[in-house]
Amino acid sequence: MTPNAAPNSYLLGVGDYDEMLDSQGQVRSHWSSLMQGMEKLGSAEMELRRKEALKLLYENGVTYNVYGDSGGSNHPWQLDPVPLMISGQEWSHIEAGLLQRAELLNMILADLYGPRELTKKNLLPHELIYNHGGFLRACDQIKLIGHHQLVLYAADLARGPDQKMWVVSDRTQAPSGTGYALENRVAVSRVMPNLFRKSQTRRLANFFKSMHSGLTAIAPPNAESPLIVLLTPGPFNETYFEHAYLAAFLGYPLVQGDDLTVRDGYVWLKSLTGLKRVDVIIRRVDDTYCDPLELRADSRLGVTGLLEVARRGNVAIANPLGSGILENPGIQPFLPGIAKHFLGETLKLQSAATWWCGQPLEMDYVLANLDKLVIKPIYRAHGTSPVLGHLLSQAQLAELRERIRTNPALYVGQEHVSFSTAPCVTPQGFEPRKVMLRCFAAADRNGYEVMPGGLSSSAPEKGDMLISGRAGSISKDAWVISTEPELKYETARNIGASATRGNEHALPSRAADNIYWVGRYAERAEGSIRLLRATVRKLYINPHNNDPDYDESLQCLLRGVANLTGTWPGFLDEDHSALLKSPESELIAAALDEQRSGSIANLLRNVVRTGYSVRDLWSTDIWRVLDDMDEHLDQPLQLGENALWKLQELMDRQITTLSAFSGLSMENMTRGNGWLFLDIGRRLERAMLTISMLRNVMSVHHRDSVEAQLIESLLDASDNTICYRQHYRSYFELSAFLELLLLDVNNPRSLAFQIACLKNHVSKLPSAGKAKRFSTEERLMLEAGSMIDLINLNDLMVVSEEDIRENLDQLLSRLYYLMNALSDAITAEYFRHDSSPQPL
Amino acid sequence: MRYRITHTTSYKYTGLVGHSYNEARLLPRECQHQHLISARLEITPKESDFRVREDFFGNKIAYFTITEPHNTFAITAISEVEVLGGTWQLGLSSNISWEDVKEILLRDKHIEVLDARQYTLDSPYIKTSLELAAYAQPSFTPGRPLFEAVNDLMQRIHAEFTFDSEFTTLSTPVQTVLEHRRGVCQDFAHVAIGCIRSYGLAARYVSGYIETLPPPGKEKLVGSDASHAWFSVYLPDVGWMDFDPTNNQIPGDQHIIVAWGRGYGDITPLKGVVFGGENHVLEVSVDVARLTS
Repeated sequence: MTPNAAPNSYLLGVGDYDEMLDSQGQVRSHWSSLMQGMEKLGSAEMELRRKEALKLLYENGVTYNVYGDSGGSNHPWQLDPVPLMISGQEWSHIEAGLLQRAELLNMILADLYGPRELTKKNLLPHELIYNHGGFLRACDQIKLIGHHQLVLYAADLARGPDQKMWVVSDRTQAPSGTGYALENRVAVSRVMPNLFRKSQTRRLANFFKSMHSGLTAIAPPNAESPLIVLLTPGPFNETYFEHAYLAAFLGYPLVQGDDLTVRDGYVWLKSLTGLKRVDVIIRRVDDTYCDPLELRADSRLGVTGLLEVARRGNVAIANPLGSGILENPGIQPFLPGIAKHFLGETLKLQSAATWWCGQPLEMDYVLANLDKLVIKPIYRAHGTSPVLGHLLSQAQLAELRERIRTNPALYVGQEHVSFSTAPCVTPQGFEPRKVMLRCFAAADRNGYEVMPGGLSSSAPEKGDMLISGRAGSISKDAWVISTEPELKYETARNIGASATRGNEHALPSRAADNIYWVGRYAERAEGSIRLLRATVRKLYINPHNNDPDYDESLQCLLRGVANLTGTWPGFLDEDHSALLKSPESELIAAALDEQRSGSIANLLRNVVRTGYSVRDLWSTDIWRVLDDMDEHLDQPLQLGENALWKLQELMDRQITTLSAFSGLSMENMTRGNGWLFLDIGRRLERAMLTISMLRNVMSVHHRDSVEAQLIESLLDASDNTICYRQHYRSYFELSAFLELLLLDVNNPRSLAFQIACLKNHVSKLPSAGKAKRFSTEERLMLEAGSMIDLINLNDLMVVSEEDIRENLDQLLSRLYYLMNALSDAITAEYFRHDSSPQPL
Repeated sequence: MRYRITHTTSYKYTGLVGHSYNEARLLPRECQHQHLISARLEITPKESDFRVREDFFGNKIAYFTITEPHNTFAITAISEVEVLGGTWQLGLSSNISWEDVKEILLRDKHIEVLDARQYTLDSPYIKTSLELAAYAQPSFTPGRPLFEAVNDLMQRIHAEFTFDSEFTTLSTPVQTVLEHRRGVCQDFAHVAIGCIRSYGLAARYVSGYIETLPPPGKEKLVGSDASHAWFSVYLPDVGWMDFDPTNNQIPGDQHIIVAWGRGYGDITPLKGVVFGGENHVLEVSVDVARLTS
């Protein structure tokens, strides 16, 4: 094979322009080194690397959530490891074109919400703007400080029939993709390290640096080190992964609408340590949803009064509310005229030919060529999306024609650009598929910075079309080959690190609330699994059906299970004596029935759910564990025969996963407020579980032989069997058992241990130590600690005439009360939630 | 003619409102034939962060928040207005055909025409339709002066629609009003605007007050008035001209303008978001008093 020959399997479609091969079938020079390298690896190895990259992304939790999907579940991000190669020469052309276009769109935005010269001079038709749902009259005359109104910009590019890159659509509202581009780069450079290193590919880090600097530049004056937050619609949004990823990467708090509040003309973050003034908001919420007072009143994603603060210049929003007007495809045919008017230049990047139907001639053309064009509404409202004319039936075409005739100004027809193809890895070797490229620009003080490369996407199958947007496309990295080595670049991680400083206290209350509940749910799940497992073991391994001691202790345990998991009525109902006799199905339900509140599956789901809503706070490894949990929940267990045996195995695995989670959070999380609330949640829950378990089982006195069996099971449930045997003897005795579980500060499962931890934790809470006196939380833990210190085991053992251990019961009851009070106090102090807003 | 208008809106909540954010379009605008002498808002509990600005259409908006927890909220707008020129509109006449007006709106680049052009388009509450066009058709005969066509449309709406305050709510679509021919002043204005825009012409929605006179021999009751709404049409030779289909008249010196926009949605008199409050009871009273001095 000659160096520039095409790989054998790579067969082009007729008439397709290919990125890699020229018209003679030779590999273009900017592809040759990569292609040679990949050929050398061989297609089997490339397929392995493809899988490796997917695994990496999967493990990093990179997902794309498809709206309307059942349960809004997360789809793993698809990646093809072959990057789209862009020569330095072509890139300089693209870059210049994007810089010009960003500047132009910026001037249009400033004009449309300012003097509106463009409509007055008819450079933009009146009906094209005033009919557009994205033209927000409430945003009129609002300006960011400085020259740039369009702060973040993305454009979808594809190679047109003239073999030049064309702009297919502009993204100016809340462009997504920068985070995915970064993740793709990380994954591809990891699975093809040598090829990447040799390629002199331009790095992405500078882009994020400029973006950060640009966001700082638009902060209201006198904000010394501006607080920048990233506003997300929440975990159900399709690109939530990216929101969390970017927030963590750039070091900005990730917030939802109700984490922010407007007071006295400013926007404030409801943080753990009180209200913090917010200077800049990167919004990933569509503009009409951002303020229920002035925009959509039914929005629950926004911040009431936000627009008024922006109007006064007290907060900067990127992109500004109202910037969705630029996503109007009807603007495209007017860009050349506007470029001439504003810049005295011709457009460096062409748009796909577009006809706005608001003009009679253009409408006639579109109606006559409906079956060849892409028809787009000028405003992307719900239920309207671009359609490919040639895919429509005659009846559908007629219906569309009628709709356009009724309201021509609301539609454009656009040339269906026949995209170029680029190689993708398949199990059969390389295959050409249609590609497009999303490029990004961010405004800094002196102009726009364009990300070298961007997020490329390719069609899922050979021959498939690709429309701007999503619909099952596979993403690719894009490598811009630098003509000279880049002398200096900072690693991307540095930006995040510098920006994060000082934001520790800006942990949103909601995030603290969620992370506290992650701790509680994880611990409750673990405790419940352990007790359930001990019960199953007793039932399965050693059923002495005719031993009265066995029966009594088993029933006692079963009631404990029902109490602990709260799966009422279960074994608690008096009439369920039959259930007590053959409890298997009930136990299985308590483990697996996700609909049942308090079941193991239900608790694990809650761990995942609350964990996901603070996605930005977890390390990659922790996230992997949470993902595992999620995945197991989605795979229904086939029980069949030996159901309890299989259940036991499942519970063993679940314990391992949960232990990995708690181990990683102990070892890999910095001891900031996030960790503090996680561990408070965990310790508090463990304390409460231990108290409930002891109270349920030991408050009532049983025969010694029954109690011995119960102690054995409870030691099993608390993973203390070995420890007990080492310290005491093999005979199960209540006082020794209570000493181990209540008093032993060296036993990480004892109540004394939890209380000691909590005592320490509450002294580090943000408002502790501010006043001279102890905080409520501190007082509660002081009382709990001294109760433990003052315990006299002999007193606790005393049994009343009614066979009750009253002292033990009272002690446990009081301790339980104190734990509950601690939870209430923390909730009231740190997790303040407003009642939900409603229109007047 | 001089008037003092007192317009009170009050909310009683079953629960406590922690805080609220509000926008009031209750301060009358200054316009060609109306001079604003004074206007102020009285708000309880005491508002904070109060600011007045102009909106996109040139109306006055007062923004304010209430941070004090409360069970009741009341806002009173007290305005003194001089309506100039008496029956000024009646002296004017306009003879341009509606077809010519439509052309002017499309072609003329005069700043006033460009401004009027936005009122030819659909707006959130008012969508043009074949049904609206069909209803208006008997009024819009070929070559008829726009003034006459609109005057005729107003008379027909007045004659054919029944005033019924029980039938519609703020969110009743224009389509429903047209089908049942029932509604209140706001609905009649919306129907008329939709009809006129269906012919490519510019019409806008006007909110304000009308002076009502007591039945002969009776004394006028304070607070018995109501806020009112009508519509306005752009006539290139005379400018904007108002029509009141509810009362079948061309407003003279008894109509006081507060605000205008594309439809009710643009100029809701009072908008707000409250945190807490549960359910509420709303009370509105309006008093339009003629001042003798």
